[in-house]
Amino acid sequence: MRMDPKQFREYMLIYGTDILNWPEDMRTPGLKALKSSLELQAILEDEERFERVLRESRYEDPDPDLAERIISASLQKEDKRPYSVAGFFSDIFWEFGMPNRALTAVSLSLLVALILGFAIGFFYPSGAISSEQNQINLEAFLYYEGDVL
Amino acid sequence: MDVDLTHLDDTLLLQHIRQGGREAFAVLVNRYADRFYRIAYRLVSSKDDAEDIVQEAFLKLWRRPKLWDPSKGAKFNTWFYKVVINLCVDHQRKKRPLGLPQDMEMADGNPGHDVLLDDHQRQSLLDRFISDLPDRQRQALALCFYEGVSNHEAADMMGVTLKALQSSIMRAKTTLKKKVKLYFGGGSI
Repeated sequence: MRMDPKQFREYMLIYGTDILNWPEDMRTPGLKALKSSLELQAILEDEERFERVLRESRYEDPDPDLAERIISASLQKEDKRPYSVAGFFSDIFWEFGMPNRALTAVSLSLLVALILGFAIGFFYPSGAISSEQNQINLEAFLYYEGDVL
Repeated sequence: MDVDLTHLDDTLLLQHIRQGGREAFAVLVNRYADRFYRIAYRLVSSKDDAEDIVQEAFLKLWRRPKLWDPSKGAKFNTWFYKVVINLCVDHQRKKRPLGLPQDMEMADGNPGHDVLLDDHQRQSLLDRFISDLPDRQRQALALCFYEGVSNHEAADMMGVTLKALQSSIMRAKTTLKKKVKLYFGGGSI
């Protein structure tokens, strides 16, 4: 594969001036072409100067405690998470989505027990008086009242 | 007993994080905070903003670790680069365009006189040229030139085809080269 100056320039823009970093199938033709062409060598020098200018672009290192700050913020965010109905239900389902099967089984058992408790309480309320019992109570009252009077 | 999680790969750390593993989260943050800061900085050109963006990205991950789905085939850091890049794009949309310092006027009026520009002015001009590039070109330049990410990986992170990414790099560099030659003078490059 022969490489003309236009192709060489394009590859240089795409892959950079270090030809050893070019994809394998372009590297050898690129190096060969460079060795035998003064024009390509001039293109390479021009591109290297341009890359040096680009590397002058300003860069500031992050604060050394950036990672620590993020970890601390994760603690705070968790405590101060605003309440929302969607978030509440999402949290419930997230708990059930945990891969810990034992925890999920215990949670489900407690939920079933709670539902059964409500159902029993609804159909057989302990404070309720049947109509038969009500009649007996009324008769006892009337009898008791009559006796006194 | 404390278990050393630093040797675990990203996928395993994320599994721990899904179960509320704070130590795993700390390991992941320590592993990647600086790397993601670098790309954020290249895209927003502000230390404070880049730090805030990286923090926001990690907190999103902490609150919703299931957002990253390994079954979809993306590596964690590729996916997280996307998160950071998207946050940077949102941030840039909200922000006003960069103004040029007053001491740049002379250079603007007389392009080609590189002797008039000191290092600080050259740097400011270059930053302005880069920030004037369209989003996609700036991202391609930041990932491939400044961060040394491979073209394939960068295309994946940006959600574009390889051809589109390479075209973006070429356009970005061609535009910058023209401006640098015009404003810094032919002797600079």
